[in-house]
Amino acid sequence: SFVLLCLLTLAATRLYAYENAPLDRTITGSVKDEKGDALPGVSVVLKGTTRGTTSVADGSYRLDVPENNATLVFSFVGYQSQEVAVGNRTKVDVQLAVGDRSLEEVVVVGYGSQRKQDITSAVSVINMKDIGEQPANNMNQMLQGRAAGVVVKTKAGTPGGAFEVRVRGVGSLGAGSNPLYVIDGFAVGTSVGQNLNPNDIESISVLKDAASTAIYGARGSNGVVLITTKNAKEGKTNVGFSLDYGIQSLPMTRRVKMLNGVEFAQFKKEIFEDQIRILQKREPTLDEVPIGFRYPEQTKYSTDWYGLILHNNAPYTDANLNITSGQGPLKAMISAGYYKEEGTVKKTNYDRFSIRSNLGGQVNKFINVGLNINGTYTRQNLANTDGRSALLGGALLMDPRDTPYNADGSLKPYSNGVDGVFGFPNPLYVLENVLRRRSIADLLTNAYVEVSFLKDFKFRTSANIKLNNNTYKEYVPSTIGLSVASGTAGAPPRIATETDNTEELVNYSLDQLLTYNPKIGDQHSLDFLVGYTAQQERVRGFTGSGNTFPDDLVPFLGSASIRSSTSYEYGWVNLAALARANYSYKDKYLLSASFRREGSSRFGAKNKYGNFPAASVGWRISEESFMPKTDWLSDLKLRASFGVTGNNDIGNYPSLAFVGANNYILGNAFAAGKVVSSFANSELKWEKSNQLDLGMDVALFNNKLTLNLEYYKKITNDMLLPISIPAVSGFTTSLANIGKVQNRGVEIGADFRTNIGPVNFRTNANITFNRSKILAIKGANDMLYYGSFYGGYNVQKVGRPIGMIYGYKKMGIFNTQAEIDAWPKQDGAIPGAMKFADTNGDGVITYDTQDMVEIGNPNPAFTWAWTFAADYKRFDLNVMFVGAQDFDVYRNIEASTMNMDGVFNVLDKAKDRWRSPENPGSNPNAKNSQGGTSYFKWSRESSERYVYDGSYMWLKTVTIGYNLPKVKSILSDARIFVTGNNLLMFTKYPGNNPDAGVRGGTELNNDDESYPIPRTFAAGIKLNF
Amino acid sequence: DLFYKTETQLLQALNGVYGQLQTITTSAYIFQEFPSDNTTLDFNPLDRGGAAGWEAFEFSTVNQGNGEISNVWNQYYSMMYNINYTLEKMAGSSVDAAVKGPIEGQLKFIRAYSYFNLVQYFGDVVLVTKTLDKPDAAFDLTRSPQTEVWAQVEKDLKEAVALLPATYPSGQAGRVTKGAALSLLGKTYLTQKKYADAVTTLKQVTGYTLNPLYADNFNPAKKNGPESIFEIQFQGGNDLGEWSTFAYTFAPRLSAGAVTGFANTTPGGRNIPTNDMIAAYEPGDLRKDVSLKTSYTLNGTVVNIPYIIKFTYPHTITGRTDNNWPVLRYADVLLMLAESINEATGPSAEVFDYLNQVRKRAGLAAVAGLDKAALRDAIMKERRVELAFENHRWFDLRRTKTPAELSAFMSAYGAKEKAKPTVDRGGIAFNALDYVYTDNEYYLPIPAPQILISSKLTQNPGY
Repeated sequence: SFVLLCLLTLAATRLYAYENAPLDRTITGSVKDEKGDALPGVSVVLKGTTRGTTSVADGSYRLDVPENNATLVFSFVGYQSQEVAVGNRTKVDVQLAVGDRSLEEVVVVGYGSQRKQDITSAVSVINMKDIGEQPANNMNQMLQGRAAGVVVKTKAGTPGGAFEVRVRGVGSLGAGSNPLYVIDGFAVGTSVGQNLNPNDIESISVLKDAASTAIYGARGSNGVVLITTKNAKEGKTNVGFSLDYGIQSLPMTRRVKMLNGVEFAQFKKEIFEDQIRILQKREPTLDEVPIGFRYPEQTKYSTDWYGLILHNNAPYTDANLNITSGQGPLKAMISAGYYKEEGTVKKTNYDRFSIRSNLGGQVNKFINVGLNINGTYTRQNLANTDGRSALLGGALLMDPRDTPYNADGSLKPYSNGVDGVFGFPNPLYVLENVLRRRSIADLLTNAYVEVSFLKDFKFRTSANIKLNNNTYKEYVPSTIGLSVASGTAGAPPRIATETDNTEELVNYSLDQLLTYNPKIGDQHSLDFLVGYTAQQERVRGFTGSGNTFPDDLVPFLGSASIRSSTSYEYGWVNLAALARANYSYKDKYLLSASFRREGSSRFGAKNKYGNFPAASVGWRISEESFMPKTDWLSDLKLRASFGVTGNNDIGNYPSLAFVGANNYILGNAFAAGKVVSSFANSELKWEKSNQLDLGMDVALFNNKLTLNLEYYKKITNDMLLPISIPAVSGFTTSLANIGKVQNRGVEIGADFRTNIGPVNFRTNANITFNRSKILAIKGANDMLYYGSFYGGYNVQKVGRPIGMIYGYKKMGIFNTQAEIDAWPKQDGAIPGAMKFADTNGDGVITYDTQDMVEIGNPNPAFTWAWTFAADYKRFDLNVMFVGAQDFDVYRNIEASTMNMDGVFNVLDKAKDRWRSPENPGSNPNAKNSQGGTSYFKWSRESSERYVYDGSYMWLKTVTIGYNLPKVKSILSDARIFVTGNNLLMFTKYPGNNPDAGVRGGTELNNDDESYPIPRTFAAGIKLNF
Repeated sequence: DLFYKTETQLLQALNGVYGQLQTITTSAYIFQEFPSDNTTLDFNPLDRGGAAGWEAFEFSTVNQGNGEISNVWNQYYSMMYNINYTLEKMAGSSVDAAVKGPIEGQLKFIRAYSYFNLVQYFGDVVLVTKTLDKPDAAFDLTRSPQTEVWAQVEKDLKEAVALLPATYPSGQAGRVTKGAALSLLGKTYLTQKKYADAVTTLKQVTGYTLNPLYADNFNPAKKNGPESIFEIQFQGGNDLGEWSTFAYTFAPRLSAGAVTGFANTTPGGRNIPTNDMIAAYEPGDLRKDVSLKTSYTLNGTVVNIPYIIKFTYPHTITGRTDNNWPVLRYADVLLMLAESINEATGPSAEVFDYLNQVRKRAGLAAVAGLDKAALRDAIMKERRVELAFENHRWFDLRRTKTPAELSAFMSAYGAKEKAKPTVDRGGIAFNALDYVYTDNEYYLPIPAPQILISSKLTQNPGY
């Protein structure tokens, strides 16, 4: 392509038709902003021509204009454009007013950009300027609450962890549902990972409907997030520095409360007595109660294991230095950042060094070049935190009567289960002694050359490369015991283990784009784009593991007595040709069509290529002559779009059958063996979505109030699902193109800004209603369910929403043996046990999935966000609420923390349990109240008992800032602020976080006690020199 | 498409099937020993959560949601796919017929062995002898009557007998031989009560002798000995991933290193010999001390929990034992011969001779002069102790009893266990349904997930 490029460059030089207009006189002047400060980078254009310039660092400009009737157009992103008739003047000074989300604003879209007013598809734009300061270790966080239809879930508070982002619902049952992320034109994949400093981001566009995403073809179905990094603006050199420092902690109100030592001993005592009463039908004597809990009030210790492992003042620091130079033909932005965060769970942390250099500019009249380089190095100390047998679950379940420390003050490695309580490793000891470390070095580069040739043609060739090196090391010393182990069975010493993994990823793409933007009079505007893109990814990795170390002093594989290793390599290739045309007539009738033909290595031999067309229309009614020009209606646009997108997030080789190793011994020597490990299916097709979008954009009262309304309907066909097939085929699952899912919804966004006297207000609200429905799986009655005992289930059923929670329906509590006898047979039930529904009416509540039904809907009725900002003189305030309404969470950890066997500690509310028919606790028949007595078998299974309404309203951020007075010629801008994040949650949900979920995909809302979400208070300073 | 072309590849495909059989064998005790009166489990009064799937086989509470039946169903049919696929691909390859013959014989033996087990687990099962060209076709498959399944087992075994060599070079020891196919064919006839066919077939099993020491059958240093007809191969002491773990599965839960020799471990506590089993040994039976122990000593404390030691031998690496698993051995053939002849023609010198060969090695006096019924009982008792814990007992009970007799027999055993459990239950009472046997439990239920997925699959009665 470089040869081609050189040829084109030559051709362009020769063919360029230079406009040799008469130079009559020179106009000079300066441009100022609303505060009267110089505004560089403002575009100054002679109306009706392409002649123009931009203002320089001190706001001044200079332009040659013809003798008569010259009108200058001043425009700048974020400001209202201004037209000035020059008349006889030679000096024209203007002051631009802040544009209230000007329609002239340019929005980044797929493979290009468009004026906001010309857009005919559903695109949400997030400008970092609007977000203000908030602690953000991750770019996903910046999407939260900012765009209708984009739901960001904070599933866990792990330092450096990514959030879950869903654009317009979960679109697929089998393939992934993460959007595609595109950084400066480079489609990096379905995750940005930890490798982008949020401070380097200029803006984010979220493409939601098919008309905007179909140009990304096979990866467009789940929405596309376009990230644009900061570039130097026209102007003088600027040095910016910012420093935030904050502390994080888990508020007491969001901590799960368990029984303390005395209460637990009392509980154990009662459990023991109840067992004798119920199983042996007699009153126990005190002597029969084991000595350990015979006298609960004498319990010596009470340990809050959960509180023990929390870091209550976990600091984070975010420092950024940014230098921009906008003078000369090549402009540069260089930034360096350091972010460090201590986790709310002790010993877990994350830090990131990042350096970015964005260069770009005009080499000559014909050639534009750009080069962005971003290098990041992140380190993460992790812990196995999430789940019942991991640290956080264990910390809840452990015996509070044990102490974390030995008499000499050293940490106990293991809390031996005594008196029938299960043993767990001391979580603090685990945090201090288990090594889990990940480090990632990442290099991301974008380079392009853009050549203007002939008239109105531009050719852009770009090369993007991502290199990623990911290293993980885990060492579990011999002193770590087993979790959830009975008695001393899990006590250390155990076998020390180590795993080392290192992985190298290379991803590169080459894009060739040709645009043609002819001028055909005032009334028509037309642009064409054709392109060709090729992308390849290769991953190579190596894993070594070892165990049985002579001691714990040398945690390296070399000292393990047993070692094994494996290496692997995989990859994929995408090739695509794309085209798009935009046409508008009188800025009134807008038309856009795009097409992409794409091939992916991931599909079956018979269906390698897919076609992805889309079209959209827009009608700006407010421009029509029949619309009366009123004061209140500034703009009204109706839009409609339809298109086809694909989803190839299905793994790399699903269509091929694999032969895997399954070896044997013959003649007492190794004999290599092979077995087929999956069913080949060369007919696997693309999973395609058809999406209809109807939208309306309204701007009222001189753009003070803008409203945005969208209706969409997306149907995903030929879904790639691992369907269960009868095992007699040789396999239990097979990928097939079955299934159809529909997501329909309405998104409403509103933005209002005004000023009352000296106070400027701005408020923004958005609300999203999404309804998913499974239209077909295989046959009419088929369903898929995932889960297991002790784990909860999610079911996918035709005619129902995605991911319904599945389990036994709770009908109350058995108060007496007579009630048990009168009820359908529920094996092992004793008085105090939960009473379940015999849903299949066979007279037995079977201990499997037969009597399970849908018991909860994990999909919110709606999600919403509301931001409010105000500034007064030098003060400003920014507040954001987010919320989700009417959805259920399966609190799986309660299958253990409400397990009344007495082998675990239980929730504080267990004190109010059922004890006898006379003493049944409060409202025992309520859905979420528990039974009392020991009946292990039914309390650990998926039941309505553990389903809670997760509706919440979350005060996410409050920021108060103060702009310091400027110091002329030294300090151009200075600001201090304080901010709080995750401040207050209003919910009835009893767990730490209603967004928590330990599983992915369609297995929604299974809370098994995840890394808690901390509350953050921070203060910061921002300086510009 | 790229594989199954050369001799090496075909042999690797065959070895892969053996590898799958290895996995299946590791849990076969759950289906063939555990449900019987021979073994119980080391009850864990604390963890009443984790292990219900395999415990159900002891307590006779297996239901269609049971995970173990689902696993075994899937494992057998996965292996069946590889057998059938290799047979199909081999037919089209240009490899020499002399090479193909023994490979085909081995595959057909393993297929027959699989159905021999499946038909006794589940009754009517889906008979698959060729692979499907597309996944959807699996939804049309239905269960075949037991008679058809048995017919297929006989057919495969007869073909295997014709194709298999009597022995292999030492480097190939462990492969299926003609003797193995004949022994299994004999057992197939015996199970179907075709006694005359059983006698003629089993008499063709030649070239094997009893090991002088009973223990040699299980000693890793004496793998594939003169008595061994077919055993599943394992190898410990290295990183090849081919070790066995029986010693760990069967040692008492809290014995730490007292039984296995490696302290930092938590054994499985499964397949614990019952009081009934321990009492079945005649005084002076040399096999008792080779097969089981009734207590272990940990940190100076004697703990009275019985356990199997047949497969417990010193090994060098934690969790990786070197023991093979015996499937067919000559003592079994002798006892089957004795049983077949006694059933076909009644007691004879020949029958007593076969029986006494086995008793003699065990240090027991010869028996003589029994009538047919008494001799039948003597042979059964001998099978029980001679082949104890080698996954024969459940099939022996099923073969010799009707469903009604079996449930009555097992109920009697259950009553004994309930009255005096072999392992202390820490004060936890039995569930009402424990050890309640019904006639339908002669067959296991078809796994619930399979019934849910395929409308063409029917469930066994009573589940």
